[in-house]
Amino acid sequence: MNDSFDRDWQLGELLDERQLAQAGSALGELLGRELAICDAADHVLWGILPPAARRLPLVIELEPLGWLVADVPEAALHGAAALLTQILRTQVRFKMASHLHVQAMSEDFETLRLEHARLLESEARYKALAEQLEKRVKAQVAQLEERQQMLYEAEKLASVGQLAAGVAHEVNNPLGFVRSNLSTFARYLERISELKGQLAAGPAAWTALDLDFVVADSQDLLQESIKGIDRIARIVAELKSFSNVDRASEEYTDINECLRHAAGVIDGQLPPGVNLRLELLPLPPLVCLPGHLNQMLLNLLRNAAQAIADAGRPGTIVVSSEADDAGIHIRINDDGIGMSQEQLDRAFEPFYTTRPVGTGAGLGLSSARNIVLAHSGQIELASTPKAGTTVSIFLPVAS
Amino acid sequence: MPDGDASTLTFKLVYYGPAQSGKTTNLLRLHEQLAPELKGEMMTLETQGDRTLFFDLLPLGFRAPSGLLIKFRLFTVPGQVAHDGTRKAVLSRADGIVFVADSQRSQETNNAEAFKTLADNCSRVGLDFQAMPLVVQFNKQDLPAAVPPEEIRGRFSAAPWPLTFASALHGNGVVATFELLLRATFRRYAADSELSSRHALDEESFVRGALGPAAAS
Ligand SMILES: Nc1nc2c(ncn2[C@@H]2O[C@H](COP(=O)(O)OP(=O)(O)O)[C@@H](O)[C@H]2O)c(=O)[nH]1
Ligand SMILES: [Mg+2]
Repeated sequence: MNDSFDRDWQLGELLDERQLAQAGSALGELLGRELAICDAADHVLWGILPPAARRLPLVIELEPLGWLVADVPEAALHGAAALLTQILRTQVRFKMASHLHVQAMSEDFETLRLEHARLLESEARYKALAEQLEKRVKAQVAQLEERQQMLYEAEKLASVGQLAAGVAHEVNNPLGFVRSNLSTFARYLERISELKGQLAAGPAAWTALDLDFVVADSQDLLQESIKGIDRIARIVAELKSFSNVDRASEEYTDINECLRHAAGVIDGQLPPGVNLRLELLPLPPLVCLPGHLNQMLLNLLRNAAQAIADAGRPGTIVVSSEADDAGIHIRINDDGIGMSQEQLDRAFEPFYTTRPVGTGAGLGLSSARNIVLAHSGQIELASTPKAGTTVSIFLPVAS
Repeated sequence: MPDGDASTLTFKLVYYGPAQSGKTTNLLRLHEQLAPELKGEMMTLETQGDRTLFFDLLPLGFRAPSGLLIKFRLFTVPGQVAHDGTRKAVLSRADGIVFVADSQRSQETNNAEAFKTLADNCSRVGLDFQAMPLVVQFNKQDLPAAVPPEEIRGRFSAAPWPLTFASALHGNGVVATFELLLRATFRRYAADSELSSRHALDEESFVRGALGPAAAS
């Protein structure tokens, strides 16, 4: 019927033909008569059915699973049946135990197999998910990089524009007074040439034409004009160092020079009430990308100036530098509006700015950090709301 | 569903529980105390020390007025955690279950874990645990460390299963537990197996047939 350990076992299953023959002939020897072993349905399994014999049931559980038939006294048949029953009982125990064992093992095996299949399935699901995630992350990173690049370009354009505006303003001012000086000087020259017609009047003509003043003022005008032109020349020279921002070649640079250049560029653009002070100590030369550093320093100075302007009161930007055995330390400190904890926490995030993008408020600290990191350096921010901000940069010097 | 043909109907009843809770002792006492029409020898399979390695089997039976032979095969499962495969095999196709818990306070976790494996294993071998006739026996009530019945009753007040208290070692509560299982089993299968309609058995005659006249419950 089924293969489970607790089925009803048939006599024929418990003793095979050889075992039946052995048990039967041994019992026959003991009883000294012919005997037969029959199954539950009374079919002879071993021996010869004697006519008019006694029969005793072979019971393991409740019902006979066979019969022992022999023409012997009752007591003898009882003894023989008890012996055979004992043998059958031993067989049943063995069969049940071994079948149960097999069943249990296959149960355990089945459980293991199912568990394994579940594991494989969840591993596959996990792998698919991981691949999908990776794709999404890659796509997002690509998008971020593209946007950052675009933002970078926009900011660069904006800062170049602002630089140009600053330069125009800077140049316009001396140009204006040099031009006005020169036209005044032209009028003074006309006045001097009038002297030619009044030479007869002698020294009195000099006085009448007020030429003492004209000559003195001309000197002033020319001196002032020379200064103005020098200023224009200086601006042009500084502009040159910013004109190759993207030059990617590294060179030995004095960072103090970069700081002075950046300060020079920002100086003319400082809002009223904002002072700039440099406290620069001698620095060892640094192998770096000066274009990038210049741009970064200029942006940091702009941020500082803006922070003071935002505070709505006069203030000072202090730029200091010093070197130790490890490298170069730069500090840009302002006593402006300061940053809240939230702003500090997010300051280095790309795209994080408190001001509208494209207003030339700087590339943001995230770009600054990228540039510092590209030089294997560190950048840190310390700020107190309403009191000011310090940006500290460390650039290691290769030993 | 009890297994059978035209002439017999076999109920497989399983004593389940943590190791050493007294399952084998329950069967031994039943063998002593019950006197049904048919009572087989108790078969105790391969013990290791005094622990059940495979199972114990006690066969009981009686004949219904219709002539149908009603058989009960009472099994115990090995309690040790390592024998889960064996437990499942013994549990499979069970018609009723006695859960034998050890009343000692220190055994509460073991009881709970074993009960959980019972529920899990039932579903694994395809048995409907919710519909399964089940009696929960708290054994070893004679021990001083036993949790008293009132406390256990309070804790089980929301559970649907009948509770019994026993000290199997002294033969107390063993037949009462079995009787409760018989009643639950009868109610569960009477209609499906046509016990009343075809075989003229009601709950009382079913219980009396299985316990026998001498049994003091
Ligand atoms: N004190 C006490 N001991 C018991 C009781 N029932 C069983 N035991 C003992 O607990 C041990 C385990 O019993 P056993 O029936 O083999 O547990 P099984 O592992 O569930 O089959 C044996 O030493 C029993 O004598 C009881 O009611 N009271
Ligand atoms: Mg046992």
